[in-house]
Amino acid sequence: MTKATIDQPKISGVTEASLRASGQDAESEALSAIAGQLERTIQSSSGESFISFAKRTLLELTNIKFALASFVVNNLRRRYRRSVLGFAWSLLNPIMTMCVMTAVFSMLFHQDPRSFGVYVFTGLLPWSFFNDSVLAGSGSITGAESFLKKVYIPKLFFPLVTVSTEGANFAFSFVALVLLSTILGTQLSWSIFLVVPIFALLFLFSFSCALFFSIATVYFRDLAHILRVGLGALFYTVPIVYPTTVVPERFQYLYAFHPISRFAELFRISVCEGKTPGLEVWIAPIVATVLVFVIALYTLKKTERDIIFRL
Amino acid sequence: MDSFIQIDDATLRFRIYRNRTPALKESVIAALTKKSTADPVLEFDALKNLNLRISGGERLGVIGLNGAGKSTLLKMIVGIYPPQKGSVHVKGKVTPLIELGTGFDHELSGRENIYLNGALLGRSFKQMRSLEAEIIDFSGLEEKIDMPIKYYSSGMLGRLAFSIGTIIEPEILLVDEVFSTGDAQFVNKAKDRMHHMITKSSIVVIVSHSMEHIIQFCNRVVVLHKGEVVASGDPQDMCDYYHLNIAGLPVMPRQPKEETSSPVAAAAAAAIPIAVPH
Repeated sequence: MTKATIDQPKISGVTEASLRASGQDAESEALSAIAGQLERTIQSSSGESFISFAKRTLLELTNIKFALASFVVNNLRRRYRRSVLGFAWSLLNPIMTMCVMTAVFSMLFHQDPRSFGVYVFTGLLPWSFFNDSVLAGSGSITGAESFLKKVYIPKLFFPLVTVSTEGANFAFSFVALVLLSTILGTQLSWSIFLVVPIFALLFLFSFSCALFFSIATVYFRDLAHILRVGLGALFYTVPIVYPTTVVPERFQYLYAFHPISRFAELFRISVCEGKTPGLEVWIAPIVATVLVFVIALYTLKKTERDIIFRL
Repeated sequence: MDSFIQIDDATLRFRIYRNRTPALKESVIAALTKKSTADPVLEFDALKNLNLRISGGERLGVIGLNGAGKSTLLKMIVGIYPPQKGSVHVKGKVTPLIELGTGFDHELSGRENIYLNGALLGRSFKQMRSLEAEIIDFSGLEEKIDMPIKYYSSGMLGRLAFSIGTIIEPEILLVDEVFSTGDAQFVNKAKDRMHHMITKSSIVVIVSHSMEHIIQFCNRVVVLHKGEVVASGDPQDMCDYYHLNIAGLPVMPRQPKEETSSPVAAAAAAAIPIAVPH
């Protein structure tokens, strides 16, 4: 089997005149988009380097940023359209989940429900984001078969839409968290702004996982079932519903190699404790993110030209 | 204009997997029981060693039987299917009118779908806002535009899709059998607009079973048969060639371009897809 390469689209001087004339601004630069790059070569031999592949992919993504925004907004709209409370659900849902978890586990571990509630919530948020991104993202390419066969659209668009939608949900839930923790008496400090870089990292991590599994699902359609069980098990390895103190001392060091629990830790330190997380907490998330990102992108490079024939 | 499409020795191979839903479970079991994991694969070349150059100013018609590779050729030019061998070089902005209404969300209103579809075609919210009124006006859906499109009839959907898809003047236009949507009144409007689009584009590639359309719009025609270009040249000659050698039908009576073809010829053209199963 030989492979084909789609060269980086070159934006030459021949931009679409009609739209320029209709008085649009620089945004029309991005017009080339999905339907028509201005110049493009699709070749059979794959001589493309990893770096130029990554560059081209990034360029294709910037070209379809409008479609991305549009898809995410529509996803959110559809999710809440038919409910009376509408967007309030995105705030209520995590609060209710947290109440249940706090009620059960604060009794189980004899914790003060007020501070433990905030503890559970801050851990639950990044976990839910990761969990939902990977689960929903894994079926995103196979679910987009009808799109992929009708328009030219980069494959990673679909997992990105899913993860971005979950990202918007995360933002709503985070507002709920801030409100709730203030009510429950947590002192917030400026370190809460660290949530921005932490979430950016978590986003990239989750997106990379979602991209990888969305490709893998094309080849193994039953992966969703396995993932569901796997993530269910993974949930209990992350200290979310239990305090780290219940874990025996000799196992504590393992958390240094557990990126997701470190992500939860990063959120806790900057939101609940109001401190700046130390470097040792950052290492696992950063290393893991870079690793899965490269793996996912490499998988995409290897399979990009084959996926369409497998759908 | 200097836009062009250059296809060199392109082969597009489809693999049909007997096992449509490959499962990890099966692979693991096969590995454990040391059975061969080789999926029974059926391969066929949808396009074979295709060489084609389409330069600015050309209106190329592509004719052939069902399954000859006509739509696949358009999809390869768009970039949906990358060839396994050879290369496709495209210069100029491609606007496909292949499957109108791709990406419609049936839960959303017509107006929201205008923006969604526009976004899929690479247009920003701002641009769509300036085109919105014109699209709604052309589609003739004024009072129904804010209704979820799941309540639309298929004719209304077609009108909306056509109105969005044809709002811009493209450089390279790829058309796959999108000449008739909606009622008689809309069909006439649509024909005018297609005509306009075809005249304004630098390159047009039309796939159609309607020899009438092909002869009306094209200045060059290629005949595709089993994934290969078997003939290329003047539209009228190619239509005759196609009827004689491939479809096995009598040659259409020659007519001046302006007139519509005789009922006999129209019937013959319409019968092609069904007439010869290969």
